[in-house]
Amino acid sequence: MSVHKISVKQLVSRVHQVFPGAPENYVLNLVNDALVEIGMHSTKPVQAKMSTVADQMWYKIGDEAKDSSGNNLEANKVYRVDLMDSDGDYIQIPRLIDKNILLMDADSSESALTTPDDR
Amino acid sequence: MASSITYPDDRARWFIEGDKLCIVTNVDSSGNTRTTARKQWKAISEAVTDGLLLHYYGEPNNVISINDELDLDNTMHLAIVDYVKKCLYMDKAGNASDPNLIAVSMQLSNAHKLKFDESIKRYGMRKRDKTGGSRVLKSVSLM
Repeated sequence: MSVHKISVKQLVSRVHQVFPGAPENYVLNLVNDALVEIGMHSTKPVQAKMSTVADQMWYKIGDEAKDSSGNNLEANKVYRVDLMDSDGDYIQIPRLIDKNILLMDADSSESALTTPDDR
Repeated sequence: MASSITYPDDRARWFIEGDKLCIVTNVDSSGNTRTTARKQWKAISEAVTDGLLLHYYGEPNNVISINDELDLDNTMHLAIVDYVKKCLYMDKAGNASDPNLIAVSMQLSNAHKLKFDESIKRYGMRKRDKTGGSRVLKSVSLM
């Protein structure tokens, strides 16, 4: 049993039925815009590993962030975090709803803070 | 190398701020609970290779050439056709000088916009969800 999919070539061909003159490169750009839009709606579940750094509280998960194998994370919404325990197993850790807990502090050596740039 | 934290579910917490993930724990690098009450929750004090496993919704891969495949479930493929046509009809309306052509192009653009929104936002979860069977009511998880 095969699954019917639309390839990019077929997609462009469908568009050219209505818009014969539409430049292929422009259509590809619009497809990428659509993928960004659709990506905001929880379509692609991903699991990635990251290494912890001693005394680092903040870990970048933005567009330029990478996992421990050097691949781009490309994260939109994190819904679960597991931390390795002393047996080497990953255990889910709770998400903190109230971030303003009284007893949390960052080390003076914290290097992952976002500082203002000079522009 | 394994972590020194025996019970991460009890000893560590996470939250998101902007584009940063924050991990805090109340144990030191030896796995002992920090005794200073005022500074109990701090950053993890050890470097562990692959110590974190993140579960998240990622962005689909972009397409570079016409021979690429869409990095999406096939239930979403037609929505992309609608998105592209929505934009092209809008471009056509913007370039046309005939008022009738402009009106028709805008109507078709709106029709494709509606179809895109319906398939992604309104009924998107039903399409993406691979869960079958009867439904039950579940209270909201506060974790």
